[in-house]
Amino acid sequence: MDVSVEEKIIPDYKAKEIFEKEFMPHLDAMYNFALKLTADEDDAQDLVQDTCVKAFRFIGSFEPGTYAKAWLFRILKNNFINDYRKKSRGPSKVEFEWVEQSISSDEEYSEPAYFADLHAETVQDMMGDEITAAIQSLPVDFRMIIILCDLEEFSYEEMAKILHIPIGTVRSRLHRARAVLKEKLVEYAKKKGYH
Amino acid sequence: MKASCEHHHECMKVIQRIIDREATAEEEAAFLTNKDQCLPCQEGYALELSLKKAIQSKCSVPCPEQLFAKIRAKLFLLFILISILIPLFC
Repeated sequence: MDVSVEEKIIPDYKAKEIFEKEFMPHLDAMYNFALKLTADEDDAQDLVQDTCVKAFRFIGSFEPGTYAKAWLFRILKNNFINDYRKKSRGPSKVEFEWVEQSISSDEEYSEPAYFADLHAETVQDMMGDEITAAIQSLPVDFRMIIILCDLEEFSYEEMAKILHIPIGTVRSRLHRARAVLKEKLVEYAKKKGYH
Repeated sequence: MKASCEHHHECMKVIQRIIDREATAEEEAAFLTNKDQCLPCQEGYALELSLKKAIQSKCSVPCPEQLFAKIRAKLFLLFILISILIPLFC
């Protein structure tokens, strides 16, 4: 597993105590992240369970008092990419390549002058399912960064650690992801007749 | 008020950093001073803010209750296995 510190043995009673106190409160957030990644309730539950088992196994490398949520999200993300994606109908290699291409060409990318067809009021009127569907249709790297930033409110620095990318890439990937999300919402709003 | 913004691409990056609470105090002050004179920046700010708020308020689902029980059961099993196996090898 990709954790930066080595596994340490700690007493079982202490491991259980840390797990209940530090990790269990983040189960809702982990489930939401897993659900957006897998787009399937059963797969999301499996992914969260696997993540919890790994977190418990490597609990010795967690330092109480540090940000447990970021630590868990990093394990969940690695679990999804390394194990889960291989055995599921997860994103293809092509999808990842497309994301990386679009990120590396960020300088050349010019977003629309501004989203004249998409207004704050239109977004406010949209249903949660519609916005969720637009997020689900994004390439997985874009989906991840939108959820981490907008739903879970991680800082750019924390996202850089979770995703294992430089902070400059966090900024450019997030900006690009939001532009693509808005393009999807414009299409959606037109199709559904929002004004 | 300006109907078009010649720096809109850059302005949108600053707007997003402000909304994400990652902008410097100077960036935020400079943007807020100019916002009222620029329609695309005003609308861009309102759009980014409403999108972030909509994602936070509308795209979250509660974790199924049985998942808590499943995880506790799995960890209990793991705990028992560790308790049995470790003394055998020590």
